Amino acid sequence: MNLVKKRSTAQAREENVGESMWSKAAYKFRRDRTGMMGLYVVVLYMLVALGVAFGLWGTEWSDNNGQKWEGISFQYWFGTNILGQDIFERAVFSTKTAFEVGLVVAMISTLIGAILGALSGFFSNTWIDEIILWVMGVLDSIPFYLFVAAIAFALSGFAYSMHVAMIATFWTGTSRLVRGEVIKLKNFEFVEAARAVGVPQHTIIFRHILPNTFHILLVQSTIVFVGAIKSEVILSFLGLGVKDGVSWGLMIAESTLEVQAGEFANFYAASALLFILVMAFNMFSDALQDALDPKKVSA
Amino acid sequence: MVNILLQNFKWLNGLLLFMVAMSLAGCNAAVDIDKALEGHLKGPAKIYRHSLRGAPSSLDPVNAATVYSNFIIVNIYDTLYRYKYLARPYEIVPNLAVDMPEVSDDGLIYTIKIKKEVFYADDPAFLNGKGREVIAEDLIYSIKRHFDVSNRSQGSWLWDGKIVGLNEWKDAGSNYNQTIQGLKAVDSHTIQITLFKPYPQLTHTFAMGFSALVPHEAVDYYGREFSVHPVGSGPFKMLRYESSNYALMIRNIKYRQEPIDLSFEGYDPKLHKQYGIDKIAGKSPPLVDALKIDFIKESASKWASFTKGNEINFSGVPVEQVDQILTQKKPTLILTPEMSEKYHMFHTIEAGFVHTDFNMRDPLIGYNDDPIRDKRNKKLRCAIRSAFDWKERNDVFYSGIAVEYPGIIPPVVPEFDPHLSNISTLRNVDEAKRMMLEGDWTKDNVPTLVYGGAASVSTRQIYEQFRGWMKDIGFPEEKVVFDSYASFGDFNKAMKEAKIMIIGSGWILDYPDAQNTLQLFYGPYGSPGSNNSNYNNPEYNRLYEQTSTMLPSKERTQLYRKMNNIVIDDCVSITGLSRDNIFLWHKSVISYPDSGIVGGFHLKFVDMLDEEGK
Repeated sequence: MNLVKKRSTAQAREENVGESMWSKAAYKFRRDRTGMMGLYVVVLYMLVALGVAFGLWGTEWSDNNGQKWEGISFQYWFGTNILGQDIFERAVFSTKTAFEVGLVVAMISTLIGAILGALSGFFSNTWIDEIILWVMGVLDSIPFYLFVAAIAFALSGFAYSMHVAMIATFWTGTSRLVRGEVIKLKNFEFVEAARAVGVPQHTIIFRHILPNTFHILLVQSTIVFVGAIKSEVILSFLGLGVKDGVSWGLMIAESTLEVQAGEFANFYAASALLFILVMAFNMFSDALQDALDPKKVSA
Repeated sequence: MVNILLQNFKWLNGLLLFMVAMSLAGCNAAVDIDKALEGHLKGPAKIYRHSLRGAPSSLDPVNAATVYSNFIIVNIYDTLYRYKYLARPYEIVPNLAVDMPEVSDDGLIYTIKIKKEVFYADDPAFLNGKGREVIAEDLIYSIKRHFDVSNRSQGSWLWDGKIVGLNEWKDAGSNYNQTIQGLKAVDSHTIQITLFKPYPQLTHTFAMGFSALVPHEAVDYYGREFSVHPVGSGPFKMLRYESSNYALMIRNIKYRQEPIDLSFEGYDPKLHKQYGIDKIAGKSPPLVDALKIDFIKESASKWASFTKGNEINFSGVPVEQVDQILTQKKPTLILTPEMSEKYHMFHTIEAGFVHTDFNMRDPLIGYNDDPIRDKRNKKLRCAIRSAFDWKERNDVFYSGIAVEYPGIIPPVVPEFDPHLSNISTLRNVDEAKRMMLEGDWTKDNVPTLVYGGAASVSTRQIYEQFRGWMKDIGFPEEKVVFDSYASFGDFNKAMKEAKIMIIGSGWILDYPDAQNTLQLFYGPYGSPGSNNSNYNNPEYNRLYEQTSTMLPSKERTQLYRKMNNIVIDDCVSITGLSRDNIFLWHKSVISYPDSGIVGGFHLKFVDMLDEEGK
């Protein structure tokens, strides 16, 4: 009797899961071990970044208390750099830098991409669509790092020049995806119905259509997030990135001279932390993409 | 456990190093110079391959403003004077000039005779392609070019307001047919220069690339391209020039025959015999058939190219390699046995210095209309200087082999005072805190220190080190910030507009006279002039003006040292340090390199041993 009852509860849960795309996706995501592992690592990094932001750790990243290139010890877990700075402290502080850049760039570029993509899609084949597509075409035709470096260079006096540069390039990808989705959605019956009862266009776009692209925005924002972190490292390496504080990119840039002197700690610390986060984010992002894919979710 | 892990990863370190070295070396792929030299050299040729850390900005003498430009220009063109190859301290001697100038008793008229039968290298710019004789008018023409605004000269400051009629000539529109009262050719090989007031450094200006003699035919023929088509009467002739990669020169077969007199050049067997210098006695420069100079900015790439064995013959030693190649740093530098077997080494204190200036036009730290704040600012500057640790700077960035000294007169000039108290160069945190207290400075009311610099790893590290020292005397971390400029040009522009509060910079001497560094703090030369600190002390200015017309003497030296003390007392600059440059070159090369005052002049004395070591 009990066995029958348990089975029917599980069946009921399965049936309930099928009711919403989001709950179905969440269920599917939880079953993806790789994705979950990626999520755990990302959450761990996020906690580290939050700890730095609240001054719980990583506070001594700028102190020059050690000797030049000290080895690994209980005091200096990853050793020290050329200035006698604690490499572990700097690597931990850099987590905050990475999340700050990733979050700011991902949020703003996703927002811009969503709005312009929605407008472009809703007004497809009109002058609004033409202009937005032209802007995106122009931006996309410029080699990415050249364009980012040019903007960062032009705004070099501005503390957030790197953020601006990345946002200016990253939104186009999101925008194209949203545009395609909106073109599909605007012909659905719920939109026709809204039009029929006289709902204003801006309400249709932003309250009826755009919420239905959230699965795209969510996946895209994770991709942008990790892209921003990688770009920050490259730009900082080139001297166009982080102005204040320290980042993995700056640490790798510092290590170029140290490696020639046979000192590798700075390079390994920054590279390893960057590699793990990027890998984890990619795993998380892939699993999320699979979970939110309408074809797979509805299957 | 960690050690075991690290030991196991040693192969990874090696692999990483290999990859870095290979990728960087690959950036500077060797060019096939044999093809370029084909038809220009007969038989077995001596080809010397030098290297520089940067590329010349121009090969036109009016723009010989960088060390790299100057280095090449003095090998293509002739200057009236040069510095002895081996003598230290540096001694100026005639080059194209027959003798040292005849100077009138009042020090206002200089008469200089130039050598006869000296010819420009053959070039299509000349009639029938044959280089003509160098004449006195060429010097006059070359100096006039600096005062022709269309040339945008970077060297006109050397003679600005000093030669009678020259500025008026410029103001009247720079008509080359017009004569200048104070700059005339007495005959085809004699020049007479008349000054407004004595200018003891004038002779030194004629040993600089800026004063190189240029034939007007080449300027007319090449026009704007002249900056990459140099035509001169120097020991070498340019064969191929790739502005960001290399310069390939061949021996100027028309160069005058002047056998080397080693004793005249300052030969000392104890110092120079080890380099084989005695073997060049009696030979006429240039001693090699071809000279290739690679411009390699990336130190790892340069080092890889040098140690590879068959590329460049000469390299400076990157700071990160110093500990690897030396077995001893003090009291003298000693190479490891493996290195000394392959290479010659020479090291010398640079003809220049590194310093960190306060911008005195910034009321937050410099001059302030409020006399009380003005005094507090001085206390603040002195406190910052006391917190500055030159020893650590030296250890971290210059391998601990640079020379630290007080003031702005570097050891390389004869006016240097070795007995001056070095207290201003020593870190004293207690003293710094005491001065902060005296100036009523606390962590809440100190101004934000803005340290300016071009965006680069080393500049950023220098700033981070500075910030660490400031934190030690009570500056909050957020009150010591870095003002990063995308390029050195942007940084220089901001510096010339007096926009930077704290300026880390260096200065390479134009000539071996302390006047060249003292002028960096002369009030009227404030931004956009050479006085980046915008220091303006009436007493200092008066002494500078007084000494500017004095010939070298004990009295002048005393006044120079007095000026040095004024700068120290006013805490206007954190000084000083002169780097110790280490040079290595292959044992098949006979050379005594110099990157400073002698600079490119030494290349005409470089020789190569043949396979038998002769």
